[in-house]
Amino acid sequence: METANTTNYMTLGFALTFVVMGFYVLSMYLRNRNLKRDMLTLEELQKSQLQKK
Amino acid sequence: MTQRPLTLQILDYVSILVLAISTYLALVFAPTEAVMGNVQRVFYFHIGTAWVGLLGFVIAAIAGIAYLVSKNMAWDRFGVAAVEVSTVFFFITIALGSIWARPAWNTWWTWDPRLTTAAVTELIYIAYFMLRAGIEDPEKRARFGAVYSLLGGLSAPITFMVIRLFRTIHPVVIGSQSAEAQGGFSMTADMKVAFFFALFAFTVIFVDMLWHRIRLGSLQEKVEELKLNASM
Amino acid sequence: MQDNPQPSTLKATLAIFLKDISSEFRSFELISAMLVFSLLVIIIFNFALELEPLVRKAANAGILWTTFAFAGTLGLNRSMSVEKDRGCMDGLLLAPVDRAAIYFGKTLSNLAFMLIVEAVTLPIYSVLYNENLLRLDLLVVILLGSIGYAAVGTMLAAMSVQTRMREILLPILLFPIAIPVLLSAVKASGGLLTGADFSEVATPFNLLLVYDVIFIAAAFMLFDSVVEE
Repeated sequence: METANTTNYMTLGFALTFVVMGFYVLSMYLRNRNLKRDMLTLEELQKSQLQKK
Repeated sequence: MTQRPLTLQILDYVSILVLAISTYLALVFAPTEAVMGNVQRVFYFHIGTAWVGLLGFVIAAIAGIAYLVSKNMAWDRFGVAAVEVSTVFFFITIALGSIWARPAWNTWWTWDPRLTTAAVTELIYIAYFMLRAGIEDPEKRARFGAVYSLLGGLSAPITFMVIRLFRTIHPVVIGSQSAEAQGGFSMTADMKVAFFFALFAFTVIFVDMLWHRIRLGSLQEKVEELKLNASM
Repeated sequence: MQDNPQPSTLKATLAIFLKDISSEFRSFELISAMLVFSLLVIIIFNFALELEPLVRKAANAGILWTTFAFAGTLGLNRSMSVEKDRGCMDGLLLAPVDRAAIYFGKTLSNLAFMLIVEAVTLPIYSVLYNENLLRLDLLVVILLGSIGYAAVGTMLAAMSVQTRMREILLPILLFPIAIPVLLSAVKASGGLLTGADFSEVATPFNLLLVYDVIFIAAAFMLFDSVVEE
């Protein structure tokens, strides 16, 4: 019985796994960065509001 | 802003390490399967991701109950994180299942119980996010999310049992091997090593991602609070 | 302690159920819409599937349940959004009734609407396709399936009507959760219609019962969380 050559499918599978996981990590990183920036902006806003009082 | 705790930093590195080892085991260490060749190697990641997808599902249901009982938002963050990470991993499970099916049974999809239940579960996850997206009030969002993840948690196992029923009367795929056999191969000792290590590796990776996602959720909540205070 | 004792849950349930039924029987808005919709769906299926008589026999169950599922969604949506829009829900919540009574009352009325539509659709389908659908065993299966569907549907409709997307969200929430009940119902109905005797469809039938019990219990426990303001 000859072993089928399915290496292409294997490559597709592994590539897909890494790409999807990579995208997810990237998504978390970007969301984190944006939130941190928002945080800084809001903290500055709060400070300036307090100074006005 | 809180720095990553040391444990998490270590976990990050460990996750990368186990992923690398698992990949090596799957691609190099495990022998090539005799009949379907190299595509069988995706099986290790297919099972690894399926296992954590399921884990996340159970965790979400438990977090749902915990939230409804305690009304502590931390449980809601936990639940969202579990569902989100599981959604990603189950997606990989389904995709790998499809990629495996194509050369093995000449079809992109088999309606076998496991794969179909995974697809239905994935739809439940997506519905969960759509439900949450439509609610402004965080408390209501947490409540409804908890209720839905519970209902989903009850329904998915029953779905699995019912689909299994269908197979006893109709063959799943016409004109090819029954999709019942686990890909139709038996595992050698080396394969078992790759198999069990993949389960372990993905569990580690899952915990790592879950932790990160929970932290992200906490940050989100802080920012929302600040926004609320700023607008007052 | 209250001066007036709370009406018993059963009485409250009945009261809510009767309110819905009498309100509907005044205008027949909901039932007529569901009915016309069902018939249209059946007609569409006729053209969409173009089945040979023999193949159609196997497909009847699937077509019927798809129709019931869609019409059911219509009814569930409408019944809940009417409550919300008219402020009835708030009124009900203020009343000294057990929340469970609200849930059971609504579920019973939703179930009643579904059953009425099914009761009219079945004879029409029988005539259109020369298929006797008015058999007791089939009716029991349809009853059990409808109970499960209405039980979960009422719960989810109560949630979806409180979101931004409102009615659009219900099918998205409902269908994945209702798959076990729909599949079991199709399996059992299909088996009966293609000549299997009852022992062969015992498993899906039992699954229907299990699903109904589990989800009615779950909804009963969770409904509070869904309607509190």
